[in-house]
This record gives sequence, structure tokens and C-alpha cells, in this order.
Amino acid sequence: MSSHRLFRFPKPQWLNNANTRTAGVYAAGAIFSLGFYFFIDAAAFSKSARNGSNVHITFVDWIPSICSALGMLVINSIDKSRLSADTFSYSGNGVAWKARLVLFLGFALIAGGLAGSVTVMVLKYVVPDYPFPTLWFGVSNVVANALIMLSCVILWVAQNMEDEYTYNLAL
Amino acid sequence: MAGLKTIIALSFVLAIGFLLVILSCALWHQYLPLLVVATYVVAPLPNWVCSRAANNDDFMESSSNGVVDFGRFMTGFLVVMGIALPVLFAHCGLITAPAMVMSVLGGLLIYATIISFTMFFQEEQDF
Repeated sequence: MSSHRLFRFPKPQWLNNANTRTAGVYAAGAIFSLGFYFFIDAAAFSKSARNGSNVHITFVDWIPSICSALGMLVINSIDKSRLSADTFSYSGNGVAWKARLVLFLGFALIAGGLAGSVTVMVLKYVVPDYPFPTLWFGVSNVVANALIMLSCVILWVAQNMEDEYTYNLAL
Repeated sequence: MAGLKTIIALSFVLAIGFLLVILSCALWHQYLPLLVVATYVVAPLPNWVCSRAANNDDFMESSSNGVVDFGRFMTGFLVVMGIALPVLFAHCGLITAPAMVMSVLGGLLIYATIISFTMFFQEEQDF
């Protein structure tokens, strides 16, 4: 295995640990929750007595977060071993192709969510030049979507880690 | 190893945690921080349910671990929710900052008690 490495620095050994994987899944949940509550905080602040302006969070602000959450659901629902299924002859016809298509849809949803949150922030809050307590609605939207994306990456890496761990165990 | 002193200490810490949370509600007549207690009581449940739901009879197939991962994800979500909720309430002016600090501390004490209780009094699993 080690002679087929491409890069000069080897992957650290603790990355293949099962405990690291468990911690990664917990951390993914924690980061997702953090992102979610950043946005819920903005939505609650928009209706609270502290909001001095008459700008409120509407459904438009919710769309990027919904896209990101859906994309995360799609990406992490895929069985990772199906992505390279075409190299094995026992898998069915075009399973890897379908898996990659669904995965592409998931990535498009998540990237669209992040881009959409930046769009909402710029068009709704930066261009009309609102001061900061109102600008916080847009900033928290971007932060929430970035954190959901980060959580998705961590969950993906952690689950791939487990596959390699069992692979090493099997050989 | 886990004797009577552990039980007494844990129940003492649990009582302090509940005291802090209830005080943070009752001092300002705003009972929203009680949600923290509900969150931390619910937090270990997904892990527990999903570990029972997973089938670990086949050794090689790693895809059966998805349910366990979902339980861990939900537990991580709920633990951060217990801290995020009082901060959110304080930021939106529903509760004051001292109430936020008290409910966060009390919630963490309650959760630490639950976790250490399950760690100390776990049944010995021998294969």
C-alpha cells in the first residue's frame, strides 16, 4: 500500500482511528447545530423588541439555508462505496453513474445555498446600506450556510475514514 | 468501583444544576430557560436508540453504521442546542445576561451528571 502513495507526506496514523471517526461525526452535528442557531438567532432577533428597524427576515432569507440542509441530506445519504462501483463487475448497470449524478445534485444544492446566502446579504442588506444590527441578518445567513457546508465536509471525511479503516482491517 | 459516594456526589451536582436553571427562570419570572433541561435530558436519547437499532451482525458491510452515525449527529446537535438556546434568548432580549450564564452553567452540570452516570454505571460487557 505505501509504495503507491502519491505525495511525500504520509497520512497521519490517527486519521484511521475509529475514535477520530466518532469524534468527527459528533463534531459535524455540533457544527450543524451552531450554524442552524446562528440563523434562528437572526430570525428571532428580527421579531424581538431589540430590532429597531422595520426590516424583517422573510421567506427569501430562509431559502439558502433550506437548500444547504437539503444538499447535506442528499450528499450524506449516498452510500460511498457505490461511487466507485463501475470498477467492480458485480455491481449493476450504471450504479456509479446514478450515484455521481445524485452527488452532483447535492453539491449543487450546497454551493447554491452558500452563493444564495451571499446574494441575499448583498442585495437585501449591503446595497441599501443598513447599519449593523440589521446587517447582522445577512451576515448570520452567510455564517450559517458556511457552517452547514463545513459540517457536511466533516461528516463526509469522517465516513470515508471509516471505510478505509475497515478496509485496512480486512486486508 | 462506583459506590455510594459516587451516587451522592452525582445527585449533589444534579441538584446544583437544577437549582441554577430554576433560579435563572424564577428570579426574572421568565420560564424559557427551562427548555435547556428538556434539551439535555433528550440529548443522550438518539445515541441510545440508534445503537439499539443498528444491526451489527454482518462484519464486513460498513453501510449498516449509518443509523449509529445519525444518532451521534443528533446528540451533537442537541448538546450544542442546549448552549445556543440561552445565548439566543439573551441576544434577543427575552432573558437577561445573568440568567443566560446561570442556565448555561446549570445545563452543563446536568448533562455532565447524565454522562458520568452512564459511564460509571455501565454494565460490564464481556465478549
